[in-house]
Amino acid sequence: MTRKQKRILTGTWKTLVLTAVCLFFIAPYLWMVLISLKPKVDIFDPGKFIFTPTLQNYTSIIKNAHILDYFANSMIVSVISTAVSLAIGSVAAYGFARFNWKKREDMAFMVLSQRMLPAMAVVIPYFLMAMVSGLLDTRLILIVCYLLFNIPFTILMMRGFFEDIPMEIEEAGKIDGCSGFQVFKELILPLSLPGLTATAIFCLINSWNEFVFANFLTSIRAKTVPTSVMLFLSVSGTKWGEMAATGVLASLPAIIFGITVQKYMIRGLTFGAVKG
Amino acid sequence: MVRSGPDGWGSQSGTEWPGQSDWERMAGEVRADGKKGEMQDMGKRSWKRRPYLPYIAPAMTIMTVLTVFPTIFLYVISLTDYQLGWDLSRVRFVGVENYLRLFSGGDPDFWNAVRISLLFMVVTTAVEMVFGFMIGKLLSETEFKLKPLVFAVLIIPIVMTPSIAGNIWKLMLNAEYGIVNYFFQLAGLERVAWLDADRAFSSVVLADIWQWTPFVALISYAGLCSLPSDQYEAAKIDGGNGFQLFTYITLPSLRPLIFLTMIFRTIDSLKIYDMPFVLTQGGPGNSTEFLSLHIYRLANAQNGLIGRAAANAIILMVISTVISKVLIHYQRKEEEL
Repeated sequence: MTRKQKRILTGTWKTLVLTAVCLFFIAPYLWMVLISLKPKVDIFDPGKFIFTPTLQNYTSIIKNAHILDYFANSMIVSVISTAVSLAIGSVAAYGFARFNWKKREDMAFMVLSQRMLPAMAVVIPYFLMAMVSGLLDTRLILIVCYLLFNIPFTILMMRGFFEDIPMEIEEAGKIDGCSGFQVFKELILPLSLPGLTATAIFCLINSWNEFVFANFLTSIRAKTVPTSVMLFLSVSGTKWGEMAATGVLASLPAIIFGITVQKYMIRGLTFGAVKG
Repeated sequence: MVRSGPDGWGSQSGTEWPGQSDWERMAGEVRADGKKGEMQDMGKRSWKRRPYLPYIAPAMTIMTVLTVFPTIFLYVISLTDYQLGWDLSRVRFVGVENYLRLFSGGDPDFWNAVRISLLFMVVTTAVEMVFGFMIGKLLSETEFKLKPLVFAVLIIPIVMTPSIAGNIWKLMLNAEYGIVNYFFQLAGLERVAWLDADRAFSSVVLADIWQWTPFVALISYAGLCSLPSDQYEAAKIDGGNGFQLFTYITLPSLRPLIFLTMIFRTIDSLKIYDMPFVLTQGGPGNSTEFLSLHIYRLANAQNGLIGRAAANAIILMVISTVISKVLIHYQRKEEEL
């Protein structure tokens, strides 16, 4: 075999492997889209790839399943929790990025350890406290619970972004007579807008997909989209078409957002520890 | 590229704090009207010594309130026999009875849950690390136009709502009308009951691998791309082959990164809840009842054994804290090397 042949061979081999890998990772999503467009009778016939696409699953969930209420709940809970986390977390992140104190890394580790805490372990006390205070099945309790992971995430993410801003800018601001907090508000925040946006998007995705708290603490009124897919499981069998349609609608914002923050994906996935 | 702890970026921040003069001015103003001034004076001094405090205090306070109190409460509940719907007057302190029950085998599902949770953690982490790294390596070695598309595809499983993904897997793995069995039949193979007692565990493993291998792949890709090429060139001149380059240069320089990725995967797969909850509901029997599902089954409305569930939750918390502490300890050591 000549060297050229060998190169072409490894090239084809690589292309084949990569195609297989991509197919494996996209297949469930494509399958979901396909099922959501299938007429009810065809869903139980997996080999039928050619069919007249229909939107009946989508119209049916919007009409019958109160799915829009769940979307509204998800949206309100995610947005408010994200906004609060950004406001409180980014200020703290600035503290971590710009000041040095003895216990700083221990404290940063404490923040990180919140990420390691299993939600299932803390949900029981939250459940009891919510029951006693009448907050069970409200959006408020979900918003509070989501702060549990959104605030630490914001602190660790924004810390990295703030540290990327050169110290000279702050010094210049100080010379111009800005106070410490003014420097932060007028100079640093606008400069870290891309970072803030990326952090916000990750917070939104995480809150949007959250399942443990939503499953435990809500039942009807404050139900969010991730737990609503359980509604399609009934004794008479699963309504796969409706389930898939909900899945498409619910995962669409997460995926669009996810692809927009591609550049910061690695940073976000590792809680700011790796600046990819 | 991995944050290097105490003296990485930290050295940049000086001891001088941009807003010092501002606090002084404020304190001075208040001091003018008497007694209040003394308190402000003390406040001023502690701010001066700890200028970071006003920044981090709100977040730290909220986080402490949100985690420490519930955790203490959880410990207290785990020492009682509280059941859902009980009057508070009926609740008794039973000491460590709930824990004794767990360890003495009074709750056989518990040991099963611990066993399969740890097994799941080891298997998924290992498979995801190996496959993810291989995909990352392949991507870093090849140049082609459609690369952004591959990344988009890799991001989809990570950001897709896990409970929805679980449902889709449930449909795809269905024994009668699932697409997987359809292809098996096309290939002339037997239909497989993917979600029966023998295979349910492997199916959850498969779904988890599907969702989280891209995570490892993306991180390894970024790590591999950040390696400087001069070392490789020098090694090639010295006659090193591909395998040697990999074991002597690539792996050692990526070790902290690989370790960090492993920590995330280990802890997250130990906590797994939504995927098996949707895919198998912990069944058939207890074949996929992971620790968090076991807690849910004890505590949910039908059983309502809150006291016992709390003891279980404490065990889960202790296991994950110990594992993450040990791993992070090694991570820090690695970085110091």
